[in-house]
Amino acid sequence: MRLPGFLRRSVRAKMTAVVVATTLVALLVNAAALVYYTVRDYRSTQLADVRTQAEIFGRASAAALAFNDRTDAQRDLSTLQARPDIEAAALYGPDGTLFASYLRSPGEAVPARAEAPGYRIAGDRVGLFHAVVEKGDAIGTVYIQARYGVRERLLAYLGITAVVLAAALAAALLISAWLQRAVTAPILEVADAARAVVQRRDYTGRAGKSTEDEVGVLADAFNSMLKEVQTREEALRLADRRKDEFLATLAHELRNPLAPIRNALFLMRAAGDNPGATAEARALIERQLAQMVRLVDDLLDVSRITTGKLALRRERVELRSVAQSALEAVESMIRARGHALHVELPPPGLYVNADPTRLAQVFLNLLNNAAKFTDPGGRIDFTVALEDAALVARVRDNGIGIAPAMREEIFDMFAQADRSLERSTMGLGVGLSLARRLVELHGGTIKVRSAGAGRGSEFVVRIPMQPGETRVSPANDPRSRSAGSARRRILLADDNQDFAVSLALVLRGLGNEVRVEHDGAAALAAAGEFQPQIAFLDIGLPKLNGFDLARKLRALGATADTILVAVTGWGQPSDRQKAKEAGFDDYLVKPVEIDRIRALLDGKQ
Amino acid sequence: MRAACAALLLLVSCVLHAQPLEHEVKAAFLFKFPSFVEWPREAPGVGSIVIGVAGNDAVAAELEQIAAGRSIQGRPVAVRRLREGERPDGLHVLFLGRGQAARLAEIVRQAPAQPLLIVCEWQGALQQGAVVNFLRDEGRVRFEVSLDSAERRALRISSRMLAVAHNVVQGRL
Repeated sequence: MRLPGFLRRSVRAKMTAVVVATTLVALLVNAAALVYYTVRDYRSTQLADVRTQAEIFGRASAAALAFNDRTDAQRDLSTLQARPDIEAAALYGPDGTLFASYLRSPGEAVPARAEAPGYRIAGDRVGLFHAVVEKGDAIGTVYIQARYGVRERLLAYLGITAVVLAAALAAALLISAWLQRAVTAPILEVADAARAVVQRRDYTGRAGKSTEDEVGVLADAFNSMLKEVQTREEALRLADRRKDEFLATLAHELRNPLAPIRNALFLMRAAGDNPGATAEARALIERQLAQMVRLVDDLLDVSRITTGKLALRRERVELRSVAQSALEAVESMIRARGHALHVELPPPGLYVNADPTRLAQVFLNLLNNAAKFTDPGGRIDFTVALEDAALVARVRDNGIGIAPAMREEIFDMFAQADRSLERSTMGLGVGLSLARRLVELHGGTIKVRSAGAGRGSEFVVRIPMQPGETRVSPANDPRSRSAGSARRRILLADDNQDFAVSLALVLRGLGNEVRVEHDGAAALAAAGEFQPQIAFLDIGLPKLNGFDLARKLRALGATADTILVAVTGWGQPSDRQKAKEAGFDDYLVKPVEIDRIRALLDGKQ
Repeated sequence: MRAACAALLLLVSCVLHAQPLEHEVKAAFLFKFPSFVEWPREAPGVGSIVIGVAGNDAVAAELEQIAAGRSIQGRPVAVRRLREGERPDGLHVLFLGRGQAARLAEIVRQAPAQPLLIVCEWQGALQQGAVVNFLRDEGRVRFEVSLDSAERRALRISSRMLAVAHNVVQGRL
């Protein structure tokens, strides 16, 4: 049997082969053992019989031999006619010569002389020489030649064995065919289900389970796997659809501010010296730009969440100021939509351990949502407080509300409550998802309550605080450093000339003295004589990188107290750590907002 | 004619000579009898089987030659020539040659129950008290047995020996 061919057969054929093979082997071994032992037994019986015969005959003929009585010996020999299996016999004298013989048929012959005692088996005959001993005295030899019959016996046994073998095999085949149905039918059922899945990609089918054995377990496992695959496929399809929708929304949202910006630029060009129109156009551009920056920031956060790189930078922050910064960011929008805003904030000086930027982002997202999903002229309540050693923030509105079925879904990435084309509210569908993730990173929960669609909603953020993490204390003295007059000397080192020049323009416009360098070595050289009060340094600088430059500036007497600010495209925590070790006071990630620089300059005053 | 007769005689004698001679056969038989005979327990047990010969020196000489260095049932065989008047004490077998009828009669009279296998070689010896008697049948040496004599002397003779005996006599004395 060639094994590859065997492996290709069906389960049924294999089982039949196994049954036949095992039955055959068992029967053959059994038959071989039986035949061997029977034949051996027969042979030893036969030999013992011949020996007995020789013994008896020898004793009977001893006197005839001893007293040389051939007639008597012949008479003794002729009694052997009663034994059809004895073909010839002979008596030999003590000197080995033939004394008397008996031949059943004329064709037989006996040896002319006696040979050493023992058996001679030749073909189907056995001859035995047996010494005749009378009282210890050897007086002659008996020879008996008998039909051995072993071959016939063997053939007879083999014939019987063959018949038994055939009958046993037939019985085994019948029984196995009957039993196989019980074994293979469930397997075939599972196989059919599997084939249906593979051929039709249909995961809704299930394998029937008809037994409680391993095949039953297999069917169960197969079914649960199918169910899992089905669930995952549906989830994948949903995620895929969401992503498609998200991409469409994203394109739309990114495209939206561009038209007003272009219009504003056109307006500025047309307005010429009209300061009122220019100011209005600039304000419009700033608003749209802020909107885009927020969109892109959200996108970055989404990518950080999906790649697992979003990490908190917890520090001791004043809760009130965090809430206020969120309010400031959303205030203009709330005002624009004509909502009434009711705010309850904790008293100043209440500190918590949190990431201020992320916490503000959570509040901002919730407030933004409330403003967006409430028809103009609605009411929004925003309360932040410490309750039972937990930070609790509530944002309640009387807007479009949430249908009970959507209550969990709204936190999914890219979920949109309103998928109609006419929807008035737009967004990427990442705000709530981000908010929940950020709250969870803080070890808290975010819950939503809504009486139903059209009946408003309330989002509750609860972040437990460890004892000692919250503290009420008078406002801490921020690190003060004498920065001198409002007019500051600022060193700018960046190999991106557009960025450096535009930033320099802005800083000069704010009334500062600015020096721009485009590589690290030049910046170091300039610092010695310029003696800047503040230095904005790019990290990826030619000739001398930002970290080394910072160390050298700190080592210089003239710039030992200069405020060093790293400005870079790399925002990883490890980069921040390296910057801190190199001697930087602050760290800004590109793109840098002018407001941040302004705040920084004001803070360092 | 004489020459032809002489040649024939010579041939016959040669053929006869190829056959064992009578005294040789008798000696061989005497040597083999003890194998087929059982002596009673009180008879001389262990030790030699003693065969006495009287009145036939040829047989005695041949028997001495056969028995030399041989044994029966692990017992050595001794041959004793009996002198005139010597009593057959200590013997297992006694062979009396022709002309020893008087001695036979004397032994029968003196020791009728001695376990002694008395073998003779003349016609009518069984009737005179011998146990075994050699005779000739068609030129061959054979023997006859008297079961009565054997019984009287407490000897048991194997049925196989009786089977080859020419004649077994019982109750006819």
